[in-house]
Amino acid sequence: MSVRQEEMARRLGVDRECPEGADTVSRRGFVKLLGASIALAGLDGCTRMPASNILPYADQPELTPGIPQYYATSMVLDGFATGLLVESHEGRPTKVEGNPDHPASLGAAGVYEQASVLQLYDPHRAGRVRHRLGTSSWKELAAVLAPSTLRARVGAGGAGLFLLLEPTSSPLDSELLDRLIGMYPAAGVHFYSPFARLNDSLLPQYDVSEADVIVAVDADFLATGPFHLRYARDFAARRRPEASRGMNRLYAIEPSVTVTGTAADHRIAVRPGEIVPALEVLLAAIRGTPGQRSGPGPDWVAPIARDLRAHGDRSLIVAGPYLPERARALAHQINLALGNIGRTIWFSRSPLLGAGDERHSLARLVDALRAGHVDTLICVGGNPSYATPGALGVASLIRRVPQTVYLGLYENETARDCQWMVPAAHFLESWSDARAYDGTLSIVQPLIEPLAGGKTSAELLSLLLGMPDAHPYDLLRQAWRGRGNFGDGSDFEDGWRKILGRGVVEGSSFPREQAGSAALTPDAQRQRSLPIEILFRPDARVRDGAFANNGWLQELPDPVTTLTWGNAAHLSPATAQRFGAVTGDLLDIQSAGLTVRIPALVMPGHADDTVTVHFGYGRDGSEALARGVGVDVYPLWPDGAFTAGASVTRMPSASHRTLAITQPHHTLDASKPARAMTLDEYSRLGPRKPSRSLTLYEPQASLPDGPARQQWAMTIDLGACIGCGACMVACQAENNVPVVGHDDVVRGREMHWLRIDWYAARSGEPATIAQPMLCQQCEKAPCEYVCPVEATVHSSDGLNEMVYNRCVGTRFCSNNCPYKVRRFNWFDYSAGLSPIEGLVKNPDVTVRERGVMEKCTFCVQRIRQAEIAARLDGRRPVREGEIQTACQQTCPTRAIVFGSLTEKDGQVARDRRNPRAYAALEDLGTEPRVLYLARVRNSASEGDRRK
Amino acid sequence: MNDRAMIQTILAPLDEPPRLWIVLVAVCALGTLLWITSVGYTLWMGIGAWGNNIPVAWAFDIVNFVWWIGIGHAGTFISAFLLLLNQPWRDAVARMAEAMTLFALAIAASFPLVHLGRPWFFYWLTPYPSTMGVWPNFKSALPWDVAAITTYFLVSLMFFYLGLVPDLATARDRLTGTTRRRIYGVFALGWNGGGRQWRRRRAALKMMAAIAAALVVSVHSIVSLDFSIAQLPGWHSTIFPPYFVVGAIYSGLAMVLALAVPVRAAYRLEAVITLLHLERLAKLLLTIGLLLVYCDAIELYTAASSHDPVERAMHMVHWPFGPFGWLYWTMLALTVLTPQLFWFRRFRCNVSILFGAAVAILMGMWLERFVIVVASLSRGGVPSKWHDYVPTWVDWGILFGSLSIFGLFFLLFLRFVPAAAMGELRRSRFEMLVETKP
Repeated sequence: MSVRQEEMARRLGVDRECPEGADTVSRRGFVKLLGASIALAGLDGCTRMPASNILPYADQPELTPGIPQYYATSMVLDGFATGLLVESHEGRPTKVEGNPDHPASLGAAGVYEQASVLQLYDPHRAGRVRHRLGTSSWKELAAVLAPSTLRARVGAGGAGLFLLLEPTSSPLDSELLDRLIGMYPAAGVHFYSPFARLNDSLLPQYDVSEADVIVAVDADFLATGPFHLRYARDFAARRRPEASRGMNRLYAIEPSVTVTGTAADHRIAVRPGEIVPALEVLLAAIRGTPGQRSGPGPDWVAPIARDLRAHGDRSLIVAGPYLPERARALAHQINLALGNIGRTIWFSRSPLLGAGDERHSLARLVDALRAGHVDTLICVGGNPSYATPGALGVASLIRRVPQTVYLGLYENETARDCQWMVPAAHFLESWSDARAYDGTLSIVQPLIEPLAGGKTSAELLSLLLGMPDAHPYDLLRQAWRGRGNFGDGSDFEDGWRKILGRGVVEGSSFPREQAGSAALTPDAQRQRSLPIEILFRPDARVRDGAFANNGWLQELPDPVTTLTWGNAAHLSPATAQRFGAVTGDLLDIQSAGLTVRIPALVMPGHADDTVTVHFGYGRDGSEALARGVGVDVYPLWPDGAFTAGASVTRMPSASHRTLAITQPHHTLDASKPARAMTLDEYSRLGPRKPSRSLTLYEPQASLPDGPARQQWAMTIDLGACIGCGACMVACQAENNVPVVGHDDVVRGREMHWLRIDWYAARSGEPATIAQPMLCQQCEKAPCEYVCPVEATVHSSDGLNEMVYNRCVGTRFCSNNCPYKVRRFNWFDYSAGLSPIEGLVKNPDVTVRERGVMEKCTFCVQRIRQAEIAARLDGRRPVREGEIQTACQQTCPTRAIVFGSLTEKDGQVARDRRNPRAYAALEDLGTEPRVLYLARVRNSASEGDRRK
Repeated sequence: MNDRAMIQTILAPLDEPPRLWIVLVAVCALGTLLWITSVGYTLWMGIGAWGNNIPVAWAFDIVNFVWWIGIGHAGTFISAFLLLLNQPWRDAVARMAEAMTLFALAIAASFPLVHLGRPWFFYWLTPYPSTMGVWPNFKSALPWDVAAITTYFLVSLMFFYLGLVPDLATARDRLTGTTRRRIYGVFALGWNGGGRQWRRRRAALKMMAAIAAALVVSVHSIVSLDFSIAQLPGWHSTIFPPYFVVGAIYSGLAMVLALAVPVRAAYRLEAVITLLHLERLAKLLLTIGLLLVYCDAIELYTAASSHDPVERAMHMVHWPFGPFGWLYWTMLALTVLTPQLFWFRRFRCNVSILFGAAVAILMGMWLERFVIVVASLSRGGVPSKWHDYVPTWVDWGILFGSLSIFGLFFLLFLRFVPAAAMGELRRSRFEMLVETKP
């Protein structure tokens, strides 16, 4: 029993196996310790297992070095939790997966969850408690904020004390806040984040799988928002034409091009101002009453109304969170008229603290700040100095407050404006709890001791309560014990251990609430038609800016535009032409009295006379990676609306900025790597003919070792794939794929083993077919025969293997790869990583050196691991489903299927027989082991014809 | 001019080079420094110092390589082919052409070496008894390349040296200075000019010429296979081996002209390298140029009549109208139109026009390789990975640096080695004399 195992055993309360030798370090243990202390000198993070009890997701008797363990935890975004399983190598979290038991995940994880592990090891994270310019300590802060001291400042009632928190659904936070209010009844508690749904006390819950017809009104519900992973899963399940319940049909009505829009059967580009009138016409058409509004409305409304009425209560209108109140009310009325309420959509209480309560809003805090009522402001997370409407001037207001404390991950803009800076614990370092969008309670469990001494929000709150030394673990247990969460009378410890293991409290979702009649708000003022409307949206990669220092996310191509390292003003080709701008030309956009200079990005499919900008860039805190990347558009953002009027001026022709776009060409050429068809075409498809090319040679029946037991293969359903990009980040995390930076992306050197190709059916149209492209593992691989040193060879189980050690870097293989999926280490990308950054690397995968080729391996490390496990179990071969590639595991839509061809009835074999199956660039005869299933569009006219 | 005067003319620069020489050496040495810097930077940083990317994983490196290899063809072509065909006019320029060949080959060989991601493992491309028990992959054209180029270089070197021996003996005998004479003496291998030595040398030269002539054809054929064994449209073409050989000889002859014209003027070799010689070279250039046009046409025809729309698009759309379209048309103008001047005698006999045309053809041939390598790669795979290519300063540094090294080598050659084959010239004169006597 090694020292570390023993340590674990002790922590887990397991009795010593061999007490007689326990106090002496074994020879093996000693050597290991010696090796470790040399290798890890200065990076003690490696062995920082949290001291409190954490329990693996699946119970394992003991920790075996080299065999990873999985722990359940949750990641919270805007207050809503997504359950995760985190892979830990000897106490070092390296990879995040979705928790299949959690309703927001169902086993999938999105880009933020996947990239969160990189943020954990971010060397730019704040690492010390700071007071003004000097280093301070938690103790000193505790002295300043101790109830006795603080009361003297803010009065007995705490009238001068204000807290600004990120939205939270944590019962622990709630309890601590209650106690705090008990202590300081007059204190202000406010919640804010740019996209939080704090105004709604009731949240709409969708059952996407029940809907035959879905109308998304400026709603990117498949790729953003708290339950998007689940919605995407349910949506995709009914995108397969062979599915028993038939295909659903999606209409997307939206100004800018979103992932949901590209996945739609019918996408209608509308200006934001046209949405409310159109919905009014639609409602009237559904009710069958003559429109309250005169005029027939746009011509696309009638067919949608027909389709909706034909499907009655098996339809769904999804109204986007950024729509004006009236548009959302109209959408509700339409759902009501169709009878969807209670079937495909219902409501439940918002788990967010202070939801729907105006007293907890940022606006109230700003009022207090302006009035000078604030003596002590405590910002818990978030970044209010940066991520707030420019017009509010929050940054300067914070600077005027006599005493300010900020708890955050980085020394960012807010930290700079505050006197006290306390490093926050990353969620992978934290004990806490949180609720999902539907109220399901889950645990936040640390995988590692805080690397930089970070503190959780609970710790800061308990410091305010006069308990600076309370450990968050004890706080949490105490709260849970007090609440009696395990109401079935069972023992607390048993229940607690079960929760830690599974991460989710089953059956804890909120009940359905009676939806109010949601009376239509009177159309207060007819919206003036604005010359140019500007839309503010979270960025698909850095969100509100919180992930701006994350290299994986910065280099993740934006869905559809494939822009990396920065943001741009999206506009339609016609509008761009009006300004005489092409992609990269700088525009001056004026709104809310301020002007921002931002490069244009011409986007086919975008609504005319509308500009979409994304938050999160132009940072100037201490986040070195994020600094100076992109443009900050918060100054343009007026308070309270995601749409505004703007004026746009084209800068003189000389000003141009090169945008790091990974895919400039979206038009399919004659080789047609991505295929889409209509339902009619699909119904005419014959059975798929095996595409084996003719050969003069005898079939190779006997390889030297005989063919392997398994023949690995993958199918990717383009009908299901929505192109969200989660697989790209998952692959990057699993396979130690380096980040190359803006300049090298411009040069065409991004390293992603798996990328999403976006294709438009015709030039000038928006790219709507997303095709995950990875090594096709060709049976007749063009790369293999051209390698002069046999560095890329074929394995007996059908993998196209890359032998890094043998590669000399002629790059001939890449030239001969028709799919261009091979990546070359142009520089030593992994050199110069700080020890802390190195911790994120997956120890099962080689970190490649300069000058060698690399590419997708079908996650060969996972295959071999499963094979070894199967062998040890004495059972052979590996069972179907035992191996999931990283991309497959995280895919929200289950578009990727991996398995062995030897399983004749396995999912892969069945998919390969599907008439939709085809090999990309089939004519080349490369015999790929990856097959795609062509996308099928369920367009309305055809569906009608079929009826 | 009698024999003595001719020898005097040819040996004179070995005693005292023209003034310009030292200036040119300085310029080329600076350029060589640029090469050392660029290559050193590349080795230090990695291939990322260049503009290469995915999909354009080969760019200047391979363009330069093929271009230099092509130039390295003229020497042996002139020496070996024309020797076998009994074309005595070749003697005047053969020496220079052979030296040029060697230098060009050495420079060419540096490119595949430097372009490796891990150049320190270059020897893995050779079949050596390895403890890993791994051989090179003989299915790949790159080990063929290594073998072909090494063979060609060694044969060319021997051929060059064999031809040089009598002239080194002449230098030993005619020049002053003990050390110098001793050095020439060592390299002259005891040549005494006896009839038997001449006869045996002649026989050996003919034999080697036969081998070398075959190599001229094989080397660039094999280099062309680096491309044509690939599936990439624009590369995957069966015309490539003869096409590349023709192109190589074309650019090589152009380089001979581009060197012969200024050397002839600077070293007052007008009597040795006469206008007649230059005119013959020009005629040869025209002939080969027309062959190249034929190959171009066949390549285009093959693509046009192909049923593969992707291949057709490469030749009909991406090459002529793609991001490098302007280079494509420049290339065609330079390589196809330029030699048409040589239909006219007055252009063939005008040294300035000859020089200008030679340089234009050299540039055109470089562009031709650029179009084949870069334009094809940049539009080669799936459309999502189409990407253009922009060279960096390092790319330019290596290109111009390699030209400087070539210049430096050539200047040193002119300084220390007789620039024309004195022995051969004398023999030819004698033979002509015998033949013309009634």
